[in-house]
Amino acid sequence: MISTIYIEAEIAEHPRTLDILKRFPYASKVACERYGEIFNRKSQNFRLQKKQPALILAKKHKGMVLPTPKQYAIGAEHNYYFSHMLNCLYDCRYCFLQGMFQSAHYVLFINYEDFIEDMHASLEQHNGQAVHFFSGYDCDSLALDPVTNFTDEFLPFFEKNPNALLELRTKSTQTRNLLKRNPIQNCVIAFSFTPDKIASALEHKAPNIEKRLNAIIDLQQAGWQIGLRFDPLIYTKEYKKEYTELFTRLFSRINVDLVHSVSLGSFRLPKAYFRKVEKLYPDEKLFSAPMEEEDNNIGYSAEIRNDMLAFCTNIITQHIPAEKFFPCHETV
Amino acid sequence: MRHLFCALPCEAEPLIQHFKLSELKEHELFRLYQSQDKTISLAITGIGKLNAAAAVTYHHACLQTSSTDIWLNIGVAGHANLAIGEACLINKITDDRHTTTWYPQILFKTDCTSAALITHDAPATEYQAALFDMEASGFYQMALRLGTAELIHCLKIVSDNQEHPVEKINADVVKKLIAKHKTTIEQVLEALRPLAEELNSIKAVPDHYQSLIEQYHFTQSERLHLARLLRQWTVRFPKEDIIQSLRDIKNGKELNKKIHTKLAESDFVIHD
Repeated sequence: MISTIYIEAEIAEHPRTLDILKRFPYASKVACERYGEIFNRKSQNFRLQKKQPALILAKKHKGMVLPTPKQYAIGAEHNYYFSHMLNCLYDCRYCFLQGMFQSAHYVLFINYEDFIEDMHASLEQHNGQAVHFFSGYDCDSLALDPVTNFTDEFLPFFEKNPNALLELRTKSTQTRNLLKRNPIQNCVIAFSFTPDKIASALEHKAPNIEKRLNAIIDLQQAGWQIGLRFDPLIYTKEYKKEYTELFTRLFSRINVDLVHSVSLGSFRLPKAYFRKVEKLYPDEKLFSAPMEEEDNNIGYSAEIRNDMLAFCTNIITQHIPAEKFFPCHETV
Repeated sequence: MRHLFCALPCEAEPLIQHFKLSELKEHELFRLYQSQDKTISLAITGIGKLNAAAAVTYHHACLQTSSTDIWLNIGVAGHANLAIGEACLINKITDDRHTTTWYPQILFKTDCTSAALITHDAPATEYQAALFDMEASGFYQMALRLGTAELIHCLKIVSDNQEHPVEKINADVVKKLIAKHKTTIEQVLEALRPLAEELNSIKAVPDHYQSLIEQYHFTQSERLHLARLLRQWTVRFPKEDIIQSLRDIKNGKELNKKIHTKLAESDFVIHD
């Protein structure tokens, strides 16, 4: 799977680095000073690199834990996100990472202890109030968990700090590490969904809807909290039919009483990201949808966006109480 | 197009013969060669990174290279302990003088060893656990300005090591080392081909674009908009020729508006 691993000199002897390297005995190992030498270089092509991404083992020096935009909150006043990894195993065509990063290589920041220290500092800053930490903005939280041991390393912090809540945003079925430990109530495994046909068209390499649904059922049975994320909503002529089928399928099979939260938001990208991704994939239908530019973002026209949000909100709130529902009220 | 760069005539000669390249006599600053079908070319850069960088620029100017072309620096290099004759694809190039480093992106399967390389300003006398040459950093740095990182590579054949030092190397030995790896070089070029083709398809000008900008007046931003609209049309209605349905167009702005309206009024279905 991974044929090249770049290793920052500063963490070359870190036990986590050595452990990860053992898993890839046949990969070429290339020493580097800082991951940016590879990851941020111009003249790279994200689409080509996505065919064979390398792994970059690096140290994150600052900005480990950052405030989250207000519209992404799921019930707490204080919200932060963190990214132990940049880029994703999957290749979802709507993903903003394609527009944000020069490179499709996976960067794994292996100094977890520094992330946890910063989380601790953020928690202390709020004097016992609830603080939510979101993982999965810049990567899929679980997809590489068997290699990164991310959950095993981070969950003990949340076990000890009930005021902190962790959201693991994912499309992955890599739940083994979670299932083998006792569930905690302040961790939400939040699965992203689009309807079957849309997922097949756009969510390349990601587990299909049925597999994600089965992962949810297993986690719920084990006592884990689940989130449902319908963000981005994707427009197609028959979206009402397709989203109705998706909601019916999900809400009939999962235990809705044990759903922590549901959120939704329509597809939109910052203009610069949109233009870059559109150039990378000029043959992609998604980018020929009826879109508009507004406030330096590109997304569906207000009419489509509002119709979709209203339609989906109506169905979701038939299954989920209002206090668990968090629509993202971002303009395009 | 595939562009090969060798420092020395003895490195180039086996490749000129193998790929049946003819010298382009009209270009005198560097010796340039090209195949009859113009799909492969070669430049002899001379020794040193400045020469290598200059040859890349000259090659680009003379042959009008594109950002979707394949660039390959081929030559011999020394290494402390790699076996003589081993072919290495370079995964890290360090310019010894400026301590700048580049990381060629090897996105394809290859039988070659991947190895780091250091480019020196003068012939190096001490062997290290990295290949060393005098051209790669100049070649790579300049090719990166003209091409796409994933399509730019350096392939080095080990010519000397601690046990078989450089003193024993002559032009005939170099020719034989390169000739022995003609297939390896072809394999690397072949492995890069689908990447280059994919890049070409991404960057292709949409159907009708050229004829329309010749037919109507467009501002620069209207041209960009036209290209986007034509691509969207092709993606959504691959079997319908947009031109057939456009009539009485006065100018580029009106043309764009009509295509935009047609797209907006059509049903949008994201999957088949």
